[in-house]
Amino acid sequence: MASQAFINGPRRRRSAASGTGGRTAALFLVPFFVVFAVAMVAPVVYSIVLSFYAQQKSGLGFGEAKTAFVGLENFVQVFQSESFVGGIARLALYCLIYIPCMVGGAVVFALLLDATVARARKLFQLLVFLPHAVPGVIAALIWAYLYTPGISPLVQVLQGGGLQINFLDAHLVLPAIVNIGVWEWTGYNVIILFTALQAVPREILEAARVDGAGEVRMALSIKFPLILPALSVIMVFTIIGTLQLFTEPSIIAKATSSVTSTWVPNLWAYDAAFIRHNLNQAAAASIIIAGLAALLSLVVTRFSSRMNKA
Amino acid sequence: MQRRKLLIGVASVASSALLLAACGTGPNPSAAPTPTEDPSGTITFWSSLAGMDKVAAAFNASQAKIKVNFETVPNGDNGGYAKLSTAITAGNGPDVATIEYPQLPQFVSNGQVQPLDGLIDKSATVDKLANEIRGMVQFGGKTYGLPYDAAPMVMYYRKDMLAKAGVGIPKTWQEFEEAGRKLKSVAPNAYLASFNPNQVAATAGLAWQAGAKWFGTSGDSWQIGVNDDATRKVADYWQKLIDNKIVKVQQAFSDEWSLDLANGTVVGVLGANWSATGIQKRTEASGQKGQWIAAEVPNWGTPASAFYGGSSFDVTKSSKNPAAAAKFIEFLATSPEAIKARGNTGSAFLAFPGLTPVAQDAYDASYFGNDIYAVFNKAYSTVSPGWQWGPNWDITNTALKDAYGKLGTGGTVQEAVDTAQTATVAGLKQTGLSVK
Repeated sequence: MASQAFINGPRRRRSAASGTGGRTAALFLVPFFVVFAVAMVAPVVYSIVLSFYAQQKSGLGFGEAKTAFVGLENFVQVFQSESFVGGIARLALYCLIYIPCMVGGAVVFALLLDATVARARKLFQLLVFLPHAVPGVIAALIWAYLYTPGISPLVQVLQGGGLQINFLDAHLVLPAIVNIGVWEWTGYNVIILFTALQAVPREILEAARVDGAGEVRMALSIKFPLILPALSVIMVFTIIGTLQLFTEPSIIAKATSSVTSTWVPNLWAYDAAFIRHNLNQAAAASIIIAGLAALLSLVVTRFSSRMNKA
Repeated sequence: MQRRKLLIGVASVASSALLLAACGTGPNPSAAPTPTEDPSGTITFWSSLAGMDKVAAAFNASQAKIKVNFETVPNGDNGGYAKLSTAITAGNGPDVATIEYPQLPQFVSNGQVQPLDGLIDKSATVDKLANEIRGMVQFGGKTYGLPYDAAPMVMYYRKDMLAKAGVGIPKTWQEFEEAGRKLKSVAPNAYLASFNPNQVAATAGLAWQAGAKWFGTSGDSWQIGVNDDATRKVADYWQKLIDNKIVKVQQAFSDEWSLDLANGTVVGVLGANWSATGIQKRTEASGQKGQWIAAEVPNWGTPASAFYGGSSFDVTKSSKNPAAAAKFIEFLATSPEAIKARGNTGSAFLAFPGLTPVAQDAYDASYFGNDIYAVFNKAYSTVSPGWQWGPNWDITNTALKDAYGKLGTGGTVQEAVDTAQTATVAGLKQTGLSVK
């Protein structure tokens, strides 16, 4: 979107003054388009092509495989796969728990940070961001350790308190993975929201204070509505990020059989491509996931822009 | 506007060039390799087996014509096959790869490995192998690799715990169950062994030992029997062990598994020759030296075993120098020098006759309370003949592993093998194979 504004906006104004604006813009844009084409457009086009073909073998399959055009067959197979559809349902449940917890937590933390005194603010900002500085794989490994019964000090302490919990059993493993996500991403989003809060005009807040509004009232009636645009950006990123859920379950899968190798759609696609060696089916699954992400972000942007106008 | 169009044009040319490049690197049916009398050149070798760097170095030192570059790759559980398969498809795979027996037919079926016929001296290599192990590398009358190890399935027990329970080494599965019950009565929190949902090859081995045939061919069609009668018998039996808490359901090689071995919660391991090193590593610090013994896997009436793991060396389709690669493979799989060079890297049990004693000399088995190699030999001699792996093991592997995920929520082993059967048949049919 930024690049489009750049092309349409300034050029129209400048074209009357000099004819070189477009050329300069093009020059600056070339590196972007080259990388974009090679790293983004080409793979996407290639996987779309792949998804319409299949490696067809015959008989015992020890001869050469033939590549055949199969139309939407791969997509049908993906949707017919119980584990893929199950994975989407699981992901929906994950979102249902994860998004309110993480986004809600981020809003509360950001508002609290904004209301605290300046000196403590820097420290808390750092502390809250710290988990995000831990790479996802490492975080998942650490949490897998904290969840494993018999090894985890956490489980042991709970046991000492009379609570027998196995975070890795089939019922609790989803919330356990949600917890890893919340731990990792809340701090990151707090920083985004906090930055948005910094942009809230101080005079409005002062006016509110003069009118006798307390901190809570100001947070709810002034600050929160003013950071809604930032919140909608966060929602889009979170939804796209959640659809790509991969690292945490693939690490936790090594510790428990409750997380299967096709637990979420992205794992399903990975399994199809690199374990079952069906690149065509994996391409179809990836396109479905990408389509879902596009659809959901569209819904969120529409919804939030309507809310912002209202 | 024009410039923008130009840009788009450039972008699309670039992307279509990339597409062409991507299409061009597929596995081409290369012309039949001509056997060179005296091959030379540089080749690459990928393996996840420890100590193979030393073997490659020994080969390089032994002659001057072929130079082997060794690269360590992750093992199968950690994405090694994904890497290998992708690299071969992209045309930059190694010349020589290490592939386990269950996965090999898949690589053959995908056209990713080359037949060795005409490249190797068959009478000095494959023809000397035992039938059961030769069957692991020959498909459709062609030889697609040379077997390295032949891993017989065996059990390991803590003999002090068996003594505590007042039982001998279980000879049959019935005795195994009784031993488990007796162990429970003296040590209520202990398990005789673990059931590992992430080790589908172990389930296959147990079924194999019971006389199952998961994969077979009839004419030009596959016959799939992942839930055949013998497998059902095995599934019923293990479900009973799980229900009675005689075995503990846990992922093999997980932290929990390691801890349970170290602290005596689990006192037995269903494994193979290669398990010895792992058991020693995990229990040594807990003062269990001399307590672990190997034993033949309990049986259903007559002594029987199966292969559990084991790798072959193969020449990939992307190899530009298959003659040199084949020469190196002969060295890897049949030369005592190769085994000696590898040194002490575990309790190897090798397919080629006469090599196992060399490996045995290098390995220090004093940690164990009995002669484990004697047990391996016995187990090897009882491997049930006639087992074959299917054309896409990972469909079955994934399906069964996933179905085992339900064991914690009321699912059973029987349901899991039924699911795996359905998924295997459907999955193979999807790729166009004929399945009866």
